[in-house]
Amino acid sequence: MGGLQKKKYERGSATNYITRNKARKKLSLSLPDFRRLCILKGIYPHEPKHKKKVNKGSTAARTFYLLKDIRFLLHEPIVGKFRAYKIFVRKLKRAYGKTEWSAVERLKENKPTYKLDHIIKERYPSFIDALRDIDDALCMSFLFSTFARTGKCHVQTIQLCRRLTVEWMNFVIASRGLRKVFISIKGIYYQAEAMGQLITWLVPYQFSHDHPTDVDYRVMATFTEMYTTLLGFVNFRLYHSLNLLYPPKVYWIQFYSPIVTKLSALSASLARVVSSAEEEEAELDQFPTEGEDMEKMETMEKEQKLIEAQKKLFQGLKFFLNREVPRESLAFVIRCFGGEVSWDKSVCIGSMYEATDETITHQIVDRPSIDKQYINRYYIQPQWVYDCVNAKILLPVEDYFLGVTLPPHLSPFVEEKEGDYVPPEKLKIMALQRGEKPAQEQEDEEADEDEDDEEEEEEEEEEDDDNDNEEEEDEEEEAEEKNLKKMEKQKSQGKSLQVKVTPGKMKVEDKTRLDQEEKAEEKRLAIMMMKKKEKYLYDKIMFGKKRKVREANKLAAKRKAHDDAEKSKKKKTRK
Amino acid sequence: MSCNKFFSILIIDSFISLSSNMASARRLKRVVASQPGFLNLKSTSNSADSASGRRKRLNKNKKKSWNKHSDINDVEDFLQDVRHQERTTGGLLSEKSDDSLFFLDVGQPKKPEQKGKASRPLRIDLILQHDSLVPPPKDVLAYQQPNAKKLRRSAQRAEQLAAKGVVPRRRKQLLNRRPVDRTAKKAETEANNNPGREYYDIWGQECDAADPWYLQQTRKSLVKRPERLNEKPSVLPAVEVIAPGGSYNPDFFSHQALLQEAHEVEVKKQKDENKIERQLAVNREDTATEETILQEQVEGLVEEEENEEETAAPKGEEEDVAVGAITLAAKKTERQRKRERAIKIKEQQRLANKQQTDHRQQLFQLRSIKASIKQQDQKTKTRQRQRKDNQEAQKAQPRRLGKLKFQPQDMEVQLSDELAGSLRRLKPEGSVLKDRFKSLQKRNLIEPRERAKFKRRHKLKYVEKRAFREIT
Repeated sequence: MGGLQKKKYERGSATNYITRNKARKKLSLSLPDFRRLCILKGIYPHEPKHKKKVNKGSTAARTFYLLKDIRFLLHEPIVGKFRAYKIFVRKLKRAYGKTEWSAVERLKENKPTYKLDHIIKERYPSFIDALRDIDDALCMSFLFSTFARTGKCHVQTIQLCRRLTVEWMNFVIASRGLRKVFISIKGIYYQAEAMGQLITWLVPYQFSHDHPTDVDYRVMATFTEMYTTLLGFVNFRLYHSLNLLYPPKVYWIQFYSPIVTKLSALSASLARVVSSAEEEEAELDQFPTEGEDMEKMETMEKEQKLIEAQKKLFQGLKFFLNREVPRESLAFVIRCFGGEVSWDKSVCIGSMYEATDETITHQIVDRPSIDKQYINRYYIQPQWVYDCVNAKILLPVEDYFLGVTLPPHLSPFVEEKEGDYVPPEKLKIMALQRGEKPAQEQEDEEADEDEDDEEEEEEEEEEDDDNDNEEEEDEEEEAEEKNLKKMEKQKSQGKSLQVKVTPGKMKVEDKTRLDQEEKAEEKRLAIMMMKKKEKYLYDKIMFGKKRKVREANKLAAKRKAHDDAEKSKKKKTRK
Repeated sequence: MSCNKFFSILIIDSFISLSSNMASARRLKRVVASQPGFLNLKSTSNSADSASGRRKRLNKNKKKSWNKHSDINDVEDFLQDVRHQERTTGGLLSEKSDDSLFFLDVGQPKKPEQKGKASRPLRIDLILQHDSLVPPPKDVLAYQQPNAKKLRRSAQRAEQLAAKGVVPRRRKQLLNRRPVDRTAKKAETEANNNPGREYYDIWGQECDAADPWYLQQTRKSLVKRPERLNEKPSVLPAVEVIAPGGSYNPDFFSHQALLQEAHEVEVKKQKDENKIERQLAVNREDTATEETILQEQVEGLVEEEENEEETAAPKGEEEDVAVGAITLAAKKTERQRKRERAIKIKEQQRLANKQQTDHRQQLFQLRSIKASIKQQDQKTKTRQRQRKDNQEAQKAQPRRLGKLKFQPQDMEVQLSDELAGSLRRLKPEGSVLKDRFKSLQKRNLIEPRERAKFKRRHKLKYVEKRAFREIT
């Protein structure tokens, strides 16, 4: 009984948390440095369960960190480096201000730097841990490697990212690890398998950046700094797991200096430490098993076989890429499955053969027509390659010929469960995978499709009912649905819509006038959208202009009057 | 003549010593003056002057008086003359050979044609030229070496030692010094994002065999990372693949589904906006109409009497209430108390009885009780499950980590007419950079933040520039 009175907020969750600002002060770092440190060390803010208690009675939204985490940060050697860097910047500024160039030189020579190696080792104690977290690193590296050198981030970072991504792609090629590709409107999603881990990454399209303003580049650069270090070490390990030399070397160019550019061509194979021509394929060991295990083993074996088959998908095929197709992506995908690939010499370094090569089996073209065609090769659109990869078989090329309306590009990341809607295209592919003959009579196919469609319709309706209980006008919806279905069917079958064609009439349009009108309208709208300040200035300028014109007109009129007067005078004198 | 020549040699000898010693000069003066047949350049000598001057009587025991009264002009003149000769001809004229002094006059030599003024040296250069023929005196100090002897000796000794094969100590120290590792320093100062940086097998090498206790005590080993930090703050995957409708050439239905989703998001946004607008709208009843304005103006003017009555009425009520309160607090009688107590006890007894009978009755209700317990259990179980599900779902949700809430980015969608038929004509939608950034926020790795706003401390003044004023 008795004892001292307990004070509020001196025990429990209030003492377990620390606000961001307090943490920053405890580490005596500036906010950007603190943020950087947290990102590098993998310490993230924490949302407390009882905010009011933690916040000492206040309900204001704040960023909290666990106090233990911050205490852990205190031991980090990099903190000292950050402080040293601050002083370095201050000294450098001062030297610049005093124009002491020798001091500037000396300071720059001794610029404090830090390494992240120990942090990588600390955060990822084993290689597999690192490999599990490589998705982010890949995405970020691929993203940064596509940046233009606009000063949004350091040029060296861009180069390093490029190097690492090229190394990664070469590894995937060498290990034949690619599993799925999905061309989306955002970018290209790839999924590869490395050391039994499925790794997904997103590659943006080239030249598609409009630097958004609401992204903190400093934060992104810090993440990239960490991830490039991680990716480098992972690459090293992966290369060594395949007996490849790590700073990778391409077979036929060992003495050239710009190896990275050659490497980035992705067309040559890499030099190995132990030059083994063909590695023996390891077969699964057979164990005497019973019942369920047996089944499992069988399915596993089946999958293994499928994957093995997929790995040799393009073996023996020779591709040629036209200049209008995305070279890097296609070269990467084709090489991942054992195909040979080349392109025009002027497109990129590292082309292996010319377009005139007779042994080319497939030429990838993305234009409506092509003038000169060889008879012994297929001219196909790029989607064929991606669809083949996703289907794990060579699809019939007829659907992908030049100028043909392409079948939809389905996402390989969707795993349909039983009873889910499966698009007819996917059903077709599944049938092909099962080894069924695709070239049936068209009527049969149509009938099949009709059936499919009906089934789908029913399913759709059920789903709709589930989803939209509020809607009462089922009939209308059904009608709409049917209409859509009809259109879709016609689209998929490549039939033309049932529309009458009547001779058109010429519509006379004065193009220049229309243009002018449009321009005037645009200008008017632009003026309307102006800010008040700008509008004021604009009005003033316009007023000034008008006044000038007015004055000029006045002067001209005066001059004219004067001339007239002169003339009349002359006439008078003549008379 | 021979005598003269001898004398001149003597003069020069003495002259050299004179330059440093004035006393000897004075001695010389007398010697020179007494010499007969000395050839003087200036013929007007001071012979007359010496002849006419009356001899002065002086104390000759003091140097001071010597200096004061002895006449040295003759010697000075002579020396001047010697110097002049030396300067102009490079030696004494009397010593020169005849060939060097005279030449045969054969008329003006023909001048080579001058090419303009450029070939003539500038006058300023001529003025600055060294015109004396006496060579400048040697700087003796330049040839002297301090400690020359000692150095020579030490060098000799070093040579001897070297011949014997003995290496001096300093040299030995230099040789024994550890070589400076330049590459190591370079690697240390190498930036982290150097594109040519090297990697090594970070997971392969095991920590060196140094004593862990030593490492810990000297703070050379890093602090162990707590296990808790290796957990990810969110269960979401790093890369969320876009819905199948986001394909560049999507299947019709999946595309429609994606559009529907995007549409719903948009509708929700619109609804929220509308709600805010509705809440902010001015209530029509609050606006002043003519009636209300008039009422306000005549407020308190017309109905004074009624108001008074109204005010009077409540006063009376208040008094009543006060009286009632007092009456309620009146004392109870003894009888009343007894009766109340009896009622209370009776009630308690009744309740106890009832409970007893209920207990007895429960024996017969066993089945229904069991059923109800079962029901309750079921209920708690479902609730537990639901709570767990909610927690799981919460894990995937972005947490509130700062002032701002997480705002998901706009969905990337292409309308049916925007879809490109081929890969070549594909127009990428959205920004991958933003996608990554939002993904980091969504996974609770960073807190959502706004760009820091620029706050102006002092208000700006707007002044028209004169140039601008002139234009307008």
